[in-house]
Amino acid sequence: MPRPGFVLDVDERTPPLLVNQGEGFRMQKFPLGTRVIYPPDALPGVADVNAEIRSALLHPLGDSKPLPELLFAGMKLTIAIDDISIPLPPMKTPDIRQRILEHVIEMAARKGVDDVELIVATALHRRMTAREIRRMVGERVFRSFWPSRLSNFDAEDKEALTSFGTTDEGEEVEISRRAAESDLIVYVNINLVAMDGGHKSVAVGLAGYRSLRHHHNVHTMLHSRSYMDPREGHSAINDSVNRMGRKLAADGVKIFQIETTLNSETFPSNMGFLNKREWEWSVGDQALMMAAKQGNDMAPPRVRREFFRGIEAPYKVTGVNGGEVEAVHARTLENLHRQQLVEVQGQSDIGIFGIPYLGPYNVNSILNPILVHCLGLGYLFNMYRNKPIVKQGGVAILFHPVPWEFHQIHHPSYIDFFEEVLAETTDPATIETKFEERYATDPWYIHLYRTSHAYHGVHPFYMWYWGAHGRDHVNDVIFVGGEPKSVARLGYRRADSLRDALEMAKDTVGSSPSITYFHAPPIMIADVV
Amino acid sequence: MSLRDELKVMKDGFRWGRRPIVPRSAEPFVEEAYDEGFPTDWARTRPGTALRHVILNAGMGPLARSQIALRTYGLEHLGDVEGPVIFFSNHASHLDATLIMISLPERWQKKTAVGAARDYFFDVWWRQAFTALVYGGFAIDRAKGGQGAIDKARELVRDGWSLVLFPEGTRSLDGHLQRFRHGASRLALELGVGVAPIAIVGAYQAMPKGKLWPRPGRPPVTMRFGEVLFPEEGETHQSLSLRMQKAVMELFDEDRTTWFEAVSRSARDETPSLAGPQGAPSWRRTWEGTRPVPRRGRPSIWK
Repeated sequence: MPRPGFVLDVDERTPPLLVNQGEGFRMQKFPLGTRVIYPPDALPGVADVNAEIRSALLHPLGDSKPLPELLFAGMKLTIAIDDISIPLPPMKTPDIRQRILEHVIEMAARKGVDDVELIVATALHRRMTAREIRRMVGERVFRSFWPSRLSNFDAEDKEALTSFGTTDEGEEVEISRRAAESDLIVYVNINLVAMDGGHKSVAVGLAGYRSLRHHHNVHTMLHSRSYMDPREGHSAINDSVNRMGRKLAADGVKIFQIETTLNSETFPSNMGFLNKREWEWSVGDQALMMAAKQGNDMAPPRVRREFFRGIEAPYKVTGVNGGEVEAVHARTLENLHRQQLVEVQGQSDIGIFGIPYLGPYNVNSILNPILVHCLGLGYLFNMYRNKPIVKQGGVAILFHPVPWEFHQIHHPSYIDFFEEVLAETTDPATIETKFEERYATDPWYIHLYRTSHAYHGVHPFYMWYWGAHGRDHVNDVIFVGGEPKSVARLGYRRADSLRDALEMAKDTVGSSPSITYFHAPPIMIADVV
Repeated sequence: MSLRDELKVMKDGFRWGRRPIVPRSAEPFVEEAYDEGFPTDWARTRPGTALRHVILNAGMGPLARSQIALRTYGLEHLGDVEGPVIFFSNHASHLDATLIMISLPERWQKKTAVGAARDYFFDVWWRQAFTALVYGGFAIDRAKGGQGAIDKARELVRDGWSLVLFPEGTRSLDGHLQRFRHGASRLALELGVGVAPIAIVGAYQAMPKGKLWPRPGRPPVTMRFGEVLFPEEGETHQSLSLRMQKAVMELFDEDRTTWFEAVSRSARDETPSLAGPQGAPSWRRTWEGTRPVPRRGRPSIWK
């Protein structure tokens, strides 16, 4: 019987607790009275995934016909797929997207559909490599469609974008021409966090810079409290994306949305202790943990990186739903909340987050300092509903080594952003006005985005904005164990241990602050009441 | 942190070697996953039994005999008896199970399992392993009343294993015999096996509750095995328990005086009770219970 998430009160019986810090972890003894938020146990997966997929395609939700009835010979069909930023860590093969694609393509083949194109909905993310795509879609789909009918979306191919004018609030709506001109778009999504899916799939995944800048900006970010809470009025970015999606629907773009939810079995069994609560660790778990920790600490950096890169999550599917976008997304969010929601009473003066080794933008890559900021003050901080776990004006303490390391191929614009932009200012609003346009339109970055495997020139800016609300909310950010130079460049402070960090935090929150440690991953959302 | 410091943090935080504890606020969420029965059958396999044989006869036996002056009487009563029996004795010390196991003849020792309290002997993995290996132990759930507590016992007897059970249920605090629980008698009645009484005299004086090693000076301990009692036609568990209690009392009487006097007194129903002074304050009871046991035999000429 999976147990709900709960809030632990650290007492004298509590053992040291596990804290993620990049490619490694530590066992940290927390001060008495610290609250620790634990995610719910992993829900069981559906017994028959194939049956679940068939049911989603044949019994759609909302105002939609079953998929076979939407397919006909001679039609133009576009299938868009979520990219490599999801799920995290990558799912053990076969990826659920592969299984869904096989069902959809089989149906299309039976109906005699010839003009089928698959697009990886990368928006301004990097192009996926052939190998990565093959892993995601499976060998059969890959061999049938690569490379002429299976490709990464190119947001900078101006000819290949169609404009739909603007929404009522003046937001430009522009998506892939191929998708816009299709008789049907089938979107295959994985909803890992509450921000994913819904109208975001097509309206953002297949959109270009001109469209994205209307919600990927500082103002929208500051008014998304949080962006993991897509209820109307809580997340400005979600409201904007919804407007765009509804415009597309109103203008006749037909979308059959297929969304999946996964349980929180994040770590493979050989690291099973990461899925369990610390006081429930058996002797075997403790021994494994110590061995893993020692091995990890002693290993050369390359070996360590390869080990972490190779981690695959044994996720189980908790739901597959298909049909009309908003109806499907409502059901998806229900499933997601069942797995991820934890009720938390009240806020604390200090919020502690252990930043793991992997975020959406460094799969098979390196978590550079800007991505550390995004993962910590962006994603982890925003995993809340109603209120953040930290009070306004409190302190955020983050665990990560923050190495001054960048991936040359994946993140070239990040390197320049770090060296040039952050050296001058760290204020998101100033950065936006002064630098964004230049990086977004730089021809070299566009060239790398289109032909290499680089994130778009503007992407580091979005990473910076992603943490704008977090930065704005807390008065002080302290990295435990962070490299001094990188942390300083980010504009934050650093300490060697939690004790020192708490000492430093005294200036802001006094000498007996309330502390909450957000014990994630696995992913969860704190429902703060 | 150095490896040494890390190990220290882990050792203190996770209470290595001690009973695991759950933080108070997590108690409502603890799963009762521990109720899956204790894997002790591995110790009753052939290699497990062989290892136990070595441990008891080459290790525990000589060790125990070096720390106490042990004398054993009455093993001939087991000579003719076939098949499993339930050994039972008074219980006042941790020495009891050890002494019984090292005293049993080979053919009994290799097919005997000791019943041990689950909450005490099966809490930490290494205590579990030790109990299972050295005593062929199996768990008795003291918290569960009635029949549920000894389901495993039933299974073992059916497989031909003799058991060692302590009807008092726990060690005596003041050395006197406590009220007998009916688990052993019920089991004997249900399965039709005999019960073999053992009186252990002097174990309380040598190593009472609270001590983990015998008193220095090789304190004397005597074990007396009695005649095996078989359940009679139409007997109830209460009457069998009463018979069991009387058997132990008679063995104590025999040890204190002589066999003939003990038999005579038993015939007249005058066997002295082992329950200790009734209604007396606890210090008096402990005072009586700790009365020294006379050392038998010639004084040793080697000091």
